[in-house]
Amino acid sequence: MKSSGWSKSWIQQIVFTGPVTLAFAIIVALPFFMGMYYSFFEWNGVSDNAEFIGLSNFINIFSDQTFLSSFAFTARFTVAAVILSNLVGFLLALLLVQPLKSRNVLRTIFFMPNVIGGLLLGFIWQFIFVKGFAAVGEKTGWALFNLPWLGDETTAFWGIVIVTIWSTAGYLMVIYISALINVPRELIEAASIDGATPWQRLRHITVPLIMPAVTISLFLALSWSFKSFDIILSLTKGGPYNSTQSVALNIYNEAFQNNNYGLGTAKALVFFIVVALISSAQVWLTKRKEVQV
Amino acid sequence: MKKTMVTVLSAGLALSLAAGCSTSGNSGSNGNEAPANTATNAGSGTNAGSGEKVTLNIFQYKVEIADAMNRLKADYEKEHPNVTLNIETMGGGADYGAGLKAKFASGQEPDIFNNGGNAELTTWIDKMEDLSDQPWVSDVLDTAKEPISRDGKMYGMPIGIEGYGYIYNKDLFEKAGITELPKTLTELDAAAKKLQDAGITPFSNGYQEWWVLGNHLFNVALADQDDPAALIQGLNEGKGGLAGNPVVEKWFNLFDLTMKYSNKNPLTTDYNTQVTLFASGKTAMMQQGNWTQVQIDGITPDMNIGVLPMPIDDSEKSGNIMVGVPNNWAVNKNSKNKEAAKEFLNWLATSETGKRYIVEEFKFIPALKSIEVTDEKVLGAIATDIMAYSKDNKTSGWYFNQMPEGLPQEVGAEMQAYVAGKVDKAGLLKNIEAKWTSMAKK
Repeated sequence: MKSSGWSKSWIQQIVFTGPVTLAFAIIVALPFFMGMYYSFFEWNGVSDNAEFIGLSNFINIFSDQTFLSSFAFTARFTVAAVILSNLVGFLLALLLVQPLKSRNVLRTIFFMPNVIGGLLLGFIWQFIFVKGFAAVGEKTGWALFNLPWLGDETTAFWGIVIVTIWSTAGYLMVIYISALINVPRELIEAASIDGATPWQRLRHITVPLIMPAVTISLFLALSWSFKSFDIILSLTKGGPYNSTQSVALNIYNEAFQNNNYGLGTAKALVFFIVVALISSAQVWLTKRKEVQV
Repeated sequence: MKKTMVTVLSAGLALSLAAGCSTSGNSGSNGNEAPANTATNAGSGTNAGSGEKVTLNIFQYKVEIADAMNRLKADYEKEHPNVTLNIETMGGGADYGAGLKAKFASGQEPDIFNNGGNAELTTWIDKMEDLSDQPWVSDVLDTAKEPISRDGKMYGMPIGIEGYGYIYNKDLFEKAGITELPKTLTELDAAAKKLQDAGITPFSNGYQEWWVLGNHLFNVALADQDDPAALIQGLNEGKGGLAGNPVVEKWFNLFDLTMKYSNKNPLTTDYNTQVTLFASGKTAMMQQGNWTQVQIDGITPDMNIGVLPMPIDDSEKSGNIMVGVPNNWAVNKNSKNKEAAKEFLNWLATSETGKRYIVEEFKFIPALKSIEVTDEKVLGAIATDIMAYSKDNKTSGWYFNQMPEGLPQEVGAEMQAYVAGKVDKAGLLKNIEAKWTSMAKK
């Protein structure tokens, strides 16, 4: 396979990635660019006439208070969800690489929420928060359960974070487990013999060696949290009083509820650029920390 | 090599996630849709009378009548062997407007769809057939004509008339010792107090739903104006008019009253919970309309209920309930089967079977003078009360669909903030005025 000419490697690439690239181009890239075209128009999504208005949509975005506050919410939510879901995923992974009898069953159980679709999951949890928590609160009188869950800003925020962690931590756990299994035993043993404490072994041997998994997990959690839509829609619909409106939900509302399709796509474009910049920065930063054995 | 692959992959993922956002509306609504309909190849058929096979695609939003529509399909196809009806329902929690847009965007345009009139008419008018020449037009009640008419042309057939107010449980009222029905704000307050003293929760407030607040409750502030149209016009022009308005000031009294005697956590009470609380006898009143009858019957059949007005003070006008047209049937202008679609609507409005379906199966209060309700019991207790109010001229109109599109949702959110104590009265009115100005401009 060593440099037997350009053409051979190109044929290989086309055979292996060609079909996917084609599907990606038709299903994702093409609608993306077609959608962006409308960001320069004033169009309600239905009418036969779309009026070209240049960059005014982009100018209007920055005076849109709800959009800015949805951005602030998404940022707060992303920070909380990315950190906590990775932490929980990592801790679960650490626990489930120990020689436990039930570890295969537990791995399946923790992964399970990821298989349930976001909407369904949101509705289930909405029921738990509103009905289940209230019932527990009534029986036990515990203050935590007597909070107006999903009914005010704070509980709605943390409600969404909890459900997000619950549904994504299992997936991240699987990535971390596969990385942890691949950490060479002899390195850990050598460190133990040299007198390293468990914490030191984790901090100076395990973590540096699983950095590739951290890169992937952070990237996934980041993109999931940024585009979070279905869980929020089914849990709170962005309420109470728009306090949990994510950017994705705001864009949806702008395009389909307020019938400003052009402004909606303009927002989506701005959002895309911001998310692309942040995720690239994150991948670049964490990749620098990766080490080779 | 590995590095470039990772870069390409991550760039691709980043692109896909953003594209996912921009098109999330489509994918979101597709999730709610029934499997893509395959019966759109009616192709050649253009005229119902010509004997060629025609498939009419109907896309409607009323979940409550979905079953009845299927029975209607069987009856209609028996009478019209050339026509096949393909009925699809999407509503309830799902977003009908987004679903309809997805249908038009994907080329699966329905022949008949729903349109709410006013602001919605403005949005969809390019796709709607002028129905002014149809035989049933002259029978439509005048109040029902206006929202769906533009420049003297009528673009849809009102599906019926709906009304809302405070639906109340007569048995619980009796239990609390309320003999005189509350018609004014003072009386309502006294009744609620009596209920509370008797250990009954007076109101179930579904304040999680934007439309309970932003449409129905806010409408009271508009409808009780001496000249609602002038206020709405002023707000559209950005002149304000809510702050300092005496009717709006008084409207807060009613709003505050419902919160004072509310169920627990009104902001997490959705429509279903609200109706269930009421229908299972846990609360004595709820702000809802005759569309809840079916659901109430499902929980407690033959419940002893009626409708109370929504008073903002002790004056005469306060004794009104709110009545309007919820939606209209519209015909797709670009449909190949326009004639068949018109014939279907005509059949629904004029044939004996069609009329029977509207009243007895859909349980709609008819918006056409030609359709008579012979037995008022058929429609249920709530509709019977609403018709009694209509006869006495104790009704006010629905003005919320004259608000700019998307505004009722925002008003609902602002009112939630008021319920939560995040803004005061002045702040709420200021926020609504600001939103109104910016959304009317777009």
